[in-house]
Amino acid sequence: MSAVWRASRAAVKRRRFQTFILGVVVMVSSAMAIATLGLLAAVSGPFDQAYNAAKGAHVVAEFDSSKATAAQIARAANAPGVEAVAGPYPEAVLHSPSETGDHPMGLAGSFTVVGRDRPDTPVDALELSAGRWATGPGEIVLNEPSFIGLLAIKSEHEVVTPDGVQLKVVGYAASASQSAGGWVTPDQARALHSASLQMLYRFKDAGSDSALKAGMAAATKGLPSDALTGTSSYLAIKANLAKGPNTYVPFLTVFGVLGLIVSVLIVGNVVSGAVVSGFRHIGVLKALGFTPNQVTAVYLAMVTTPAVIGCVLGSVIGGLVGKKLVHQAFFGIFGGDLVMDRATVPTWVYPVVLIGMPVLVALSALIPAMRARRLPAAVAISAGGAQQTGRGLAVQRRLGGSRLPRPVSLGLGWPFARPGRTALTLSTVVLGVMTVTMALGLSASVVKFGQMQKQTDKIQVIVDVNDPKWNPPGPTHSDDQLFALLRSLPGAVHVSAEAPAVTRMAGSSGIVRVGVESGDTAELRPDLVRGRWIEGPNEVVVSSEFWHQHKVSLGDTITLDTSDGPQPEKIVGEGVGGWDVTTLDWNRFIPLSMVQRAQSFSVQLAKGTDPQAYATAVARIDPGLEATVNGASDTIEKVIISVVSTLTTMLIIVSSLGVFNTVVLNTRERRKDLGMLKSIGMTPRQVIAMVVTSVAALGAVGGIVGAPLGMLAHRIIIPITGHGTGLDLPDSMLHVWNWPMVALLALSGSVIAALGAYLPARGAAKAPVAEVLRTE
Amino acid sequence: MIVTVLPMTNTGGYEEREVVVRLTDVRKDFGDYAALDGVSLEIGAGESVAVMGPSGSGKSTLLNMVSGLDRPTGGSVVVGGEDLTRLNEKGLALFRRRRIGMIFQFFNLLDDLPALDNIALSGQLVGLKASAARKRALELMGELGIADRKNIYPASLSGGERQRVATARALMNRPSLLLADEPTGALDSRSGDQVMQLLMDLNQLGQTLLIVTHDPRLAAQCARRVIEVADGRIARDSSVNAAVVANGAVVAGVAR
Repeated sequence: MSAVWRASRAAVKRRRFQTFILGVVVMVSSAMAIATLGLLAAVSGPFDQAYNAAKGAHVVAEFDSSKATAAQIARAANAPGVEAVAGPYPEAVLHSPSETGDHPMGLAGSFTVVGRDRPDTPVDALELSAGRWATGPGEIVLNEPSFIGLLAIKSEHEVVTPDGVQLKVVGYAASASQSAGGWVTPDQARALHSASLQMLYRFKDAGSDSALKAGMAAATKGLPSDALTGTSSYLAIKANLAKGPNTYVPFLTVFGVLGLIVSVLIVGNVVSGAVVSGFRHIGVLKALGFTPNQVTAVYLAMVTTPAVIGCVLGSVIGGLVGKKLVHQAFFGIFGGDLVMDRATVPTWVYPVVLIGMPVLVALSALIPAMRARRLPAAVAISAGGAQQTGRGLAVQRRLGGSRLPRPVSLGLGWPFARPGRTALTLSTVVLGVMTVTMALGLSASVVKFGQMQKQTDKIQVIVDVNDPKWNPPGPTHSDDQLFALLRSLPGAVHVSAEAPAVTRMAGSSGIVRVGVESGDTAELRPDLVRGRWIEGPNEVVVSSEFWHQHKVSLGDTITLDTSDGPQPEKIVGEGVGGWDVTTLDWNRFIPLSMVQRAQSFSVQLAKGTDPQAYATAVARIDPGLEATVNGASDTIEKVIISVVSTLTTMLIIVSSLGVFNTVVLNTRERRKDLGMLKSIGMTPRQVIAMVVTSVAALGAVGGIVGAPLGMLAHRIIIPITGHGTGLDLPDSMLHVWNWPMVALLALSGSVIAALGAYLPARGAAKAPVAEVLRTE
Repeated sequence: MIVTVLPMTNTGGYEEREVVVRLTDVRKDFGDYAALDGVSLEIGAGESVAVMGPSGSGKSTLLNMVSGLDRPTGGSVVVGGEDLTRLNEKGLALFRRRRIGMIFQFFNLLDDLPALDNIALSGQLVGLKASAARKRALELMGELGIADRKNIYPASLSGGERQRVATARALMNRPSLLLADEPTGALDSRSGDQVMQLLMDLNQLGQTLLIVTHDPRLAAQCARRVIEVADGRIARDSSVNAAVVANGAVVAGVAR
């Protein structure tokens, strides 16, 4: 063992607790860094891998077969920039197909069927997860998530078209490109009145929307201008999947960065303190013959060793947490199964953190370690300890003339004695308060978002209508009867009904999810980001995601497939979440829904009505209804709040440890002073008061500075989080503060400081006077 | 470089010795204040020299110059043939670890290493393996009568034991010069006597000693030569008859 290692090990031993703090701080920061980087990587990495492996289409295009022939489309696709194509395939759209058999999969109301003779095409290669490919008339392969495909094929399962054509389900396959709801033979597709041709493209440059547009322009050059009727881009699928990780990334990044800053501050503080209080130690090392480089190495090794240990442990924890978080991020998101198995913390993250964190720690320690290097040996060994500067004494003298109790005035002078240490400690407290404020704001906004989504202020009871195919028994009453029954129950004020449907929009080959509503919708309408609620037929409200994905504006008209054929719909408002499009046009859209009736009712109760009693009463009117009280938090809200709370607790602990470290250094340096004060009659309680005061003042300043900074950070993060998840958030999401709460947050700095200071203060108060004075 | 000189013996005769320390017109300023003001002296191999003087006279500064812990403002300091004024910080560190051993008033042991490791650390600095350094350290502890305290931490040692550990550490690398700054200043009289005896024994074995002290008994017992410093200058450089001690005061046979 080298002399440097031996000396640094001894130094680590002397500062066991500070070393422990350092290790914990680095561990927390490393874990956060691993989880954050893992999530950041998960936003694109696994999708790109999975999509490329499946030869996913960069663009799925639909052509009007009356305007361009298959041969023309194929010839035009032979253009520079086009990497591969598949098609053209005949495509038919089935309106409200039905299913036979005991286990229907639930088909979209607007169901796209494509005629493909084989699954293993150069673009959008399909892997059968069950059964076989459709090879003859009357056969269909359904596009289902791979985990559903693991179920055995049911012999009696058939899709029945509106014209009564029966298509036997012979297999399940999953399309990464989401190119169709099902596949039949080309002849069968033509027999289903195919009016379109589907073409699948992969481009050499597919990095952006503009690149894809340029690629499509080249690939359709020479075709009649109105031949291309709709396209959908893989970037929309990617953006949809990124919503999961993007929910977590902004605040994890902020917490991660805050953790890193706090780590740097604490490392700097620990090493500065070690140098300042270790003058004699440095002097001894130099007197023994340690070279300046060796002295620097001793002080660097002193912090790097716990940093490496903390980093390794943090990486293990971060890996486990990150993996779970990454999986969780994709859970329940449309297309999530595509990447769920691949999504994990990438391997490259570990060496980055395992090398980066200790290097960061060593760099933080370098400045004070260089001070130790430069310290003249004779000065160090003769000084024996840190010299008390005159500033603190001068402030104490001035405060001594005030009416403040003497321990308080003495304590208030301490921060002025070591301005550098005071600045580091203050920064730690500021970051702690900032974190608390930001976390509180985030949690409040998340709760508010949940309330807004679920409209808990307007809707007290949700009544779900059982689908007898999936969840028997079904309802025994019609929608109109249920409306009447629900309204007749005591306490009911307003009732609305909702049913989800799936349709298609002109100009897009993708599906559009529609929320069809009826009843007292004006009273139970959701909060809108902009615009107004629907007032008449052919008006719709769209979600933020739809708004951005299709780049629409208020007043724009979109054309949606309905049971009466294509209908123009004017966009009159933008909602936060929910369905792509919300309509009140019940009669036109309800045939496109799976069960073709209301799937749920929302009920507003009169003030004072017990929601639970109402829910119980609902169960008695129809066995096919399941009523729940509206209000419980969503899983995602719970996850976000628990993650935020955990990170906040960690950073509060870390900030308190930073204060603890400062107080330990201060009291160690002032052992003699404390001993002397006690010898002349200062009580242990007064010692505690003096020591706690010395940082409580810093805490107060930290609170006053940190609280507004936290509010600012909250104001920045919420819109970024919203944007990352494809949502426009109303301003009300940011208005979560009130004055008493802000005042409490400003006071939290003093609480953090007092928490950190109490133990070392008590230790200083308990130190036996004789021993302290003798050792000095 | 070996220089032959003729220093005075305490019997008034002359003896040929190799010069270990040569200070030539050494000056050390702290701002406007001159801690050393043109000090010149030579110390031969095997000599035991005590530097005495009142507080602030420049004794410790003189010791810092010889040990290479500090640099002079002017003049030259040559120890063991090396001109310390020409060495950089690393050179000074290497010089300290190889050429000198230091004993301090307050021991300056590393609190978190047991006695044995405190001593062995110096050996490891000159490249000894840990096992070899410990073996040598244990031998020294045996010679100084503290082998049974090898695993004890400094806080649990008596003052005399701490100073013996410090002495063993100073001797670890067989220094050509042993420097002691008030070595008995923090000890009770019994421990002080033990340390004095130890230093005398070392000198008898040929160890060159330079002791800074206020203690006339220590000077009388351990040193053959006393250099008195006042106001940064050498006020007197004399031999001492250590045998003559009366009523706690040194009665030196001044030969110059």
